[in-house]
Amino acid sequence: MSENLNNVRLEATNHDGTLIGKTVTPAKFASGKTSGFAFADVLFAIDLGTQFVLGDAYEDWRGNLYDIAMVPDQSTLIEWRPGLDSVIGDFHKQDGTPVPLCPRNMVRRLVARLAEQGLTATVAVEIEATLFEESIQEARAKGYRDLTPLGGSTGSTYQIARSSDWVAYMEAVTRRLDALGIVWEAWTDEAAPGQTELNLAPTDPIRITDNWVRTKQVMREVANDLGHTVTFMAKPTAGFGQGAHLNLSLQRDGVNQFHADGELADLLRHSVGGLMATMAGNTSIALPQITSYRRLEDFSGPPTTMSWGLNNKTAAVRAITHHPKYSRLEYRLPGADVNPYYAVAGMLAGILAGIEGKIDPPPEVTDMAWCLPGRAGVARIPDTMSKAWRALDADPLLREYLGDEFVDFWVASRRWEWMEFHTKGGDPFAPLSEWESLRYFEFA
Amino acid sequence: MTQTTTSPSSDLTGPVTLEDDATPLVRMIGRALRQSARVGHAGQLFARSAGNVAVRSHDTPQSATISIDSGSVSVSGGVLVDPDATLVVDVGARYRPTGEPAGDAGLAELVLSALNPPFPHWRESAEQFWEAARSVPGIPDVLVVVVEDESGSTEARFGSGDTEFVVAGTADVLGGLFTGADEFIPALSSGLRIQGTWAQLSVMSSASWKVRFDV
Repeated sequence: MSENLNNVRLEATNHDGTLIGKTVTPAKFASGKTSGFAFADVLFAIDLGTQFVLGDAYEDWRGNLYDIAMVPDQSTLIEWRPGLDSVIGDFHKQDGTPVPLCPRNMVRRLVARLAEQGLTATVAVEIEATLFEESIQEARAKGYRDLTPLGGSTGSTYQIARSSDWVAYMEAVTRRLDALGIVWEAWTDEAAPGQTELNLAPTDPIRITDNWVRTKQVMREVANDLGHTVTFMAKPTAGFGQGAHLNLSLQRDGVNQFHADGELADLLRHSVGGLMATMAGNTSIALPQITSYRRLEDFSGPPTTMSWGLNNKTAAVRAITHHPKYSRLEYRLPGADVNPYYAVAGMLAGILAGIEGKIDPPPEVTDMAWCLPGRAGVARIPDTMSKAWRALDADPLLREYLGDEFVDFWVASRRWEWMEFHTKGGDPFAPLSEWESLRYFEFA
Repeated sequence: MTQTTTSPSSDLTGPVTLEDDATPLVRMIGRALRQSARVGHAGQLFARSAGNVAVRSHDTPQSATISIDSGSVSVSGGVLVDPDATLVVDVGARYRPTGEPAGDAGLAELVLSALNPPFPHWRESAEQFWEAARSVPGIPDVLVVVVEDESGSTEARFGSGDTEFVVAGTADVLGGLFTGADEFIPALSSGLRIQGTWAQLSVMSSASWKVRFDV
């Protein structure tokens, strides 16, 4: 797209992971498309309740709430809809260097480190979301509770017999994705009433995360257009939760390094070893919100133990190694509410730590990985936000690969979130408190 | 209930134990009870042989149970037992009751008193605050404390180095901050005055939570 005559929506993510940005005129875009556009640094210091997030030692670049620059990545410039273009960018400091907390910069940095090993990564994501019949205005009026699942209130999965309103929504979504050039592979009815799973095609880590955040935006816009509601909350009702499984493979010279006919290759073993070694700390990133932890119930789908296994869907890491092309590691830890960039960065960090440190994994779990007794020697995934941030704070590997600045920032922000929940109206004893619905339903 | 500390003889925790992974309310109640135990403010409460007291926030779902058992006290989140007394309080205003306690009024009064240990002299509480806060990453080199009263102001400095953060207010406002009875940011609406950078403000908020909640 050489000349731009449309308004342009500048897009990025902050720590919460939903697209943020602003819309500029064509002239304004032309004036700043290489130098960048000013954004208030406060975007990294504000929570979903519009409160300043405090607790960490802000680095000098943040000053007394300085401006930072969002520099568009013009390879992402697309026509979003007639009259409006869309471009995703990265945040830079006033001196031009990347903002370390910027989620997209984190993925870039880790992709570059992977390249130093002669490796590239291919990632796919399974996006889960729940649809409701009500419009967003009706949902707000009801406090996002007691809503009517689109497609009926019966669970099960893979149902093709769902009512046409549910099908019409997903077909409208995929038409928009096709028009935007976002490659998807499949969608289906997921287990919970109103729940869908949409699979994006494997691609490089930056593109998959860009596609992921844009797909969520598309799903919201289509829901609005059709008078319905969609949410990516980890648990939008007191019933089922929803995740965001990542599927990652490593290539060297275009050849999938995770394929194994017999004994697992060192690269795969070490990748698993790194993911396992960082799993407790990565939980804080993969499960970012209070509600994230309400999913962690045995027998309900998400992993509850720090475990891995070959083709074991009850484990947190599932290794699929039999196919020359599709062999991969499925990281089943993240919730649907995860920041896509941070999720991929966390997974890459674990894999890099494992490869560079030659970390051997713990024994494979060949049994069902839920409900294991203590004698099995498999620890449980941190099941509260406070346990998870403490694990991240104490993780030297994630500090090395994600950076102290990010870890300190994230730990402080999760501590803040935990405090807001407990002291501003959240109820840890409720199956799902109103505070969570109000805070997370629209922007998770 | 998993307990983080079970040593009644510990100087820091006294006879008070908290459940594992405790909520902010449990943590701040524990902090207050331990302080009361240290200064001998809650002798009658700790002398009780048994009793369960529910503490509920007047405007949020926060709640905790204080259980007394032969001189030791444990604090846990929620109210999962039938309490002997129930206090409904403003947890952001030094446990100010918002109604009459239910149940054993005498026991409730003992708990309420134990939740509000007397402030040490401001200089002593400032020293204790600084001792806890100085390990917080990014904390300024020097904490400048300015106590203001009708006759003027008195200044004290804690630490040494190039970066400073100033906190100013009455002895009561500063005592609330330094002991953890009050929280840093809300105290700015109650007369606390500060001078420093945004980054220092952020770190001081963390220091305040460390003292108030031990997080």
